[in-house]
This record gives sequence, C-alpha cells and structure tokens, in this order.
Amino acid sequence: MEIQYVYTKKRAEFGRQCIFSDRPAELLVDIAPNPDALKEFVERDPVDRGVQVVQEMSEHDVNTERFETDSHGLNHAEGGWPKDVNAQEVEQVIRFRKKVEKDEMYISTVQTLGGQMEHCIKQNNAIDIYQDYFSDVEIQASEEPPSAKTINVFKDPYKDRGVAHISWYPDGPTKLAIAYCNTDFQRAPKDTSTESYVWDVINPNSPEMTLKPVSPLVCLEYNPKDAHILVGGCYNGQVAYWDCRKGSQPIETSEVSTGHRDPVWKVIWNQSKTGTECFSVSTDGQVLWWDIRKFAEPIEKLYLDATKKQDASQAQGAYVLEYEPTIPTKFMAGSEQGAIFSCNRKGKTDADKIVAVYPGHIGPVYALQRNPQFPKIFMSVGDWTTRIWSEDIKENAIMWTKYHQSGLTDGCWSTVRPAVFFTSKTDGTLDVWDLLFKQNDPTLTVQVSDEPLQSLRLQEHGRLMACGSQGGVATIVELSEGFYAQNRNERNLVNTIFERETRREKILEARHREMKLKEKKGGGGDDEEEHGEEQGEDLMAKAEQDFFAAIENEKKLRERRKEERENAMREAESAGNEEEQGGEEERQNLERVEEGGEEEADNSPNEEQAAAAAAPAEEKGETEGNEKA
Amino acid sequence: MEDNSPAALQNSFNVEEVSQIIKEGIESSIGTSQYQQNKVNQWTSAIIEHCLNHLTRLEKPFKYVVNCVIMQKNGAGLHTASSCFWDSQTDGSCTIKWESKTMHAIVNVFALAI
Repeated sequence: MEIQYVYTKKRAEFGRQCIFSDRPAELLVDIAPNPDALKEFVERDPVDRGVQVVQEMSEHDVNTERFETDSHGLNHAEGGWPKDVNAQEVEQVIRFRKKVEKDEMYISTVQTLGGQMEHCIKQNNAIDIYQDYFSDVEIQASEEPPSAKTINVFKDPYKDRGVAHISWYPDGPTKLAIAYCNTDFQRAPKDTSTESYVWDVINPNSPEMTLKPVSPLVCLEYNPKDAHILVGGCYNGQVAYWDCRKGSQPIETSEVSTGHRDPVWKVIWNQSKTGTECFSVSTDGQVLWWDIRKFAEPIEKLYLDATKKQDASQAQGAYVLEYEPTIPTKFMAGSEQGAIFSCNRKGKTDADKIVAVYPGHIGPVYALQRNPQFPKIFMSVGDWTTRIWSEDIKENAIMWTKYHQSGLTDGCWSTVRPAVFFTSKTDGTLDVWDLLFKQNDPTLTVQVSDEPLQSLRLQEHGRLMACGSQGGVATIVELSEGFYAQNRNERNLVNTIFERETRREKILEARHREMKLKEKKGGGGDDEEEHGEEQGEDLMAKAEQDFFAAIENEKKLRERRKEERENAMREAESAGNEEEQGGEEERQNLERVEEGGEEEADNSPNEEQAAAAAAPAEEKGETEGNEKA
Repeated sequence: MEDNSPAALQNSFNVEEVSQIIKEGIESSIGTSQYQQNKVNQWTSAIIEHCLNHLTRLEKPFKYVVNCVIMQKNGAGLHTASSCFWDSQTDGSCTIKWESKTMHAIVNVFALAI
C-alpha cells in the first residue's frame, strides 16, 4: 500500500510543545455473549483437511572423468600382437616371438593355459552343441478341439444397415473395409446414410476412414496390387473408386447411363499390367469390365445368357463373381436363377465367351470360389446347401452338403488348408467344414451373432475371419490352430477325395448318356415295320426295365459307398498318419471292387446289352488305366 | 477545547468526516457478505486500506493508526476499551461499530498530530 500525501502545517505550530492529557479508558465495544447465535452453527466433526508430506528431493548431476575406451578386434589365428609389432612383417614377428619365448613366465603360462584349453576342447567334442534335436519327429496336428474366438466387434453407427461386403487390407490383417447397405428391396428408409468405413482392427470405437459414395455401397474391394486404392459398387448401379490417401470422396464414379441398371453386387480386380482393371456384375445380367482411369464407359461388356447368344433379354442377373488371378482370362459368375456360368473373357465368338453353364442351385447363388490349391475344384453356396464342383463335370456337383435348417448366405475356402471351407447362415452361425475330418456335418459351428450373417471374408493368413451381420455388426473371429496349420499329407488326401468324387460323377454322367442313347434307340426302332414294331416295343419295355433297375442299383451303390467312405474316414482318422496311407490304398481297392460290381450289375439284367456293355467296359478300362497311372 | 479559526479547523481532527470514511470502508468490503473464515484476512486488509487511503487524502498533518476487528457471531462476548495519553486539543480518535447477521466489525482510527 503506497501512500504518499502532502500535508500543510503552520510554521507557528512547528516544534510546539506537546501538552499531554490523559484520556481515561473508554469503552469501545461491549458485545454480550449470545448463546442463541451459537445455535446457528453446527460443529463439524470430522473435518477433512489435506496435509502433504513430501520428501524433499534435490537434483544433482555429476560428471565423472572421461574414461577412454577403444574397440579392438582380435584375430585368433594371428594372436594379439602388441601395438608396435606389425603382424605382417615377418621379421618383427620373429623378433617378438624370440623375445617372448625367452621369458620364464611364458613357458609356465603356456603350460597352464594348455591344460585349460584341452579341457575346453574335450568338452566341445563331447557334445555337438549345434545338434538339431527333434528334426525327425513330425509336427503332430494339435490335439486341441477346434474352436473359434471372437476378437473384436465393429458396429455401424447408423441403424437399418447390414454389412454387405467385407474386404481385408492386402498388406496384413490390420485394416478392414466394410460396405454397409440396406439390401432389402426398396425398404431402406429415405435418409439412410450412404457412408461405408475402413476400420482399424485395434480400434473398434471409431472407423479409421469414411468413404462417401453417391449411393450406399454393396461391395468394396481393396486393390491387391496397390493397397491404397479401393473400388466399390453402389446400390444404384454405379461403380466408384477411392484413394485412401486422398479423402472420403470417390476419385471417380462411373456414369449412370453406361453402367449397371441394378445394384452392383460384386466387383473384382483384374490381373492386368497396369493394375487398374476391374470387372463388375449385377442383377441386370451384365458383366462389365472397367479401367479405373477412365470410368466414363466400360471397356467390355458381356451378357450372362445361358443360350450363348449374348441376348440381353435372356440374360440372367448374377450375384457373385469368381476370379482367380492365376487364370487371368477365365472367370465364373453365379446367377440369381441358380445357374453358374463359366466364362472366358477372350472368347472369339459370342458362344465361346460363355464356356459352360452348370446347373447350380435351386435359388440364387450367393457365393462362388475356387479352391486356392486345387483350381479345378470350386464351391458354390446357395439355397440351403453348399456344393463342390469340378470344372470338368458339368452336370452335377461332385460333393454337396445336406440341406440345412437355415439358408446359407456366403461361403469361402480356407486360404491355407485345402480341405477347410466356411459358410455363414441366416441364423447367425458360422460353420467351419473340414473335409478330412467329417463330411456330413460342419466340424465347428460358432454362433457369431443373433441376427442373420450376410457376408464373410477370411483374411489371407487364414487365421482371422470377419463376419458381417444384417444389423450392421462386423465381428472378427480368430480360429483355433487346427484350422490354419498345414498338414503334410493334406494335399494328397484332399486330392484323393476330390478325384474320387470326380470319377464317380464321371461314371454317373457316362451312365446317363448311355440311358439316353438307349432310350433313343429303343424309340427309333419303330422304323422297321412288322416285327420291327414288335422289336421296337420290346426294346422300349426293356429299356424302361433297364433304366429302373439301373437306378435302383445306383441308389444302393451310393448308400454303400457313403457308409464305406465314412468307415474309412473314421478308421483313417483314429489310426493316424501312417495308417491313413494304408487306408488310401484300401479305399482304392474298395473302389475297384465297386466298379467290378457295377460291371456285373450291368451285364446281368440284359443280354442285348452286349454292344452297350462294351461301351461302359471301355470307359471303365480307361478309368482303371487312369487309376493305375 | 478546539480552535475555531479556519486554519485550526482545517488541521484538527474531524470526527464526522472520519466516521463517514470508516463506514464507507466497511460497507464496501463486507456490507453484504456472510462471515467466511478464509476471507476475513482480505476483508480486514481491505477495510484498513480504504480507511487509510481516504484519511491521507484529507491531507491533514496527522499520524493515523487504524485498527480493525471482525468477529463471527458465535455467541461469544467481546469487550474492548482504549485509553490514550495525548494532546486532547490536537489529537483525536473515532470508533465505528458495525454489525450484520453473521459478524461484528469494529474499526478504530487514532489520529495524532504531527
């Protein structure tokens, strides 16, 4: 408080004597105690008071005297020569040696050292420290029961949208791109968000990046060559591509007029020199190829027309595409009507473009994929079954699962083990099938979510599976070791299974062809009049008899086969690796026996079958020849 | 016995003036407050500073002693008195007692002629 003031005083009053007088004690204040006032207050008990006792510390640095160190290598062959002796100079070396050898200590030191060295060397020689233990013991398949564990769950911030498609980041299991879309026909509320997200696996709380297309994305794929580029197909038929580094808006989108007219259900990247080509399929029946640098117009167009005439009006809409980068010109599409088209992009004429049409499923085909290790075998998921096909056999699948209670929505092979595949169902379960373990039922069923699962995607390493549900929740499930650990014999065993089934189908196909030929023959015998007619009728009746008898036999054979197969599998499973080899041989023997049985069944009902019998015998001779080879 | 000449009046102790100053000081610092133990220090300093500032602005040749007591109304009693040995013609003192619902405030000002 700085107070400065100026005052005036009369000069006459300076030095004036002070005339003191006493002023007696004057009462200033008298306040009587008032206990009522105390009642206004409450005694506080206990009273919280913070007290801090902190150890007093002080910081102090000290610098020691510098200690110089130097690194030297010692060449043990040469010995540690002192500084002034140049090891290269022979004279210096000799001189130094002579000097040292004369030293008395030298001899005794060398003797003691020698003894120690001998001990060490003997130790070394006693055991081979670099021996590889357990090199001849094979790695046993893990004995733990198959299991799957949910690792992370990603929820769509907006409601009413399901997970339409999932794509893993190609450079490792760190990111996922998920496309969200309400795929119920015209049931999406008007202000549903169009955004799709890229999630980082570690952070399920908020997406790493948002993609904002014009209309919701139905499928989304990372470019396997350039991990920053994503291409997505929209619900309104447009195709757009993004660059992760450049933001949420698509870099370019296709035109509505030249693109698809229905939602683009699948987009896949093509194997090309520039790495910028992709192709897409939609329920409007077209397969369009695009170059992302020029999205205004597709490069090429193909109609999925089963009549092979590229007739747009006959085209069947498709839900899935299958493409194997190692077979760059061929691809497959699964249609809404259930047919599977195998197509060649480089076909010269229109008929060549669609190589084959497989009968497929009763309902739309929802998933289609080639086995990564056996490209001739592919699986398709649709209606309530999963079917496994061989490319060569066009009439029927070689293997199929039983009809499930709930519809199947998606499926894929394991990238690591050729016998394992996964399917997702509308009751929210993920089924893991292992063909070497059990063929009638899934090896493992995991209830991933309460809502129907719409899509699934296995990460390249085979360990993590992402499943997307209709409620917009994507779950990442980690599979137990048994599902991604490779078994040595697996390839051979799976190969055998597939070959066996393929052969069976081939035989059946041949049979059916025969039946048809017979029927035609039986019907065409009417040319000859008189006894020609009688013969014709006879032939017809006999053909019918044959037909039904053959069917009965087939049924019995199939049942027998299934049982035998199951037994053989069980035996093989319990016995272990070595015996499986023996089991294989057993199975092969069984097959030979079965085929022999077929021949007999063939010949017995009919003698007129001589010519016809020759045909199947030839075929069998062929197949047997193949077996032996 | 006070001098009634204008100069002397100017230079003598004017009780009314001083009590006015003190009252203002009290009102401005604790006029509307409830007793708070953690603020009492501030209040006493504020009152005293206010009083001294205004007293010195009068520019009178006096030495001032200002004393301030703030007591919480807890039911206790308080009794103070003072006695002075001075020149009663030139020096003077003034005491103001002020109270609110929760506290008493007593301010003494002693002015001694230089």
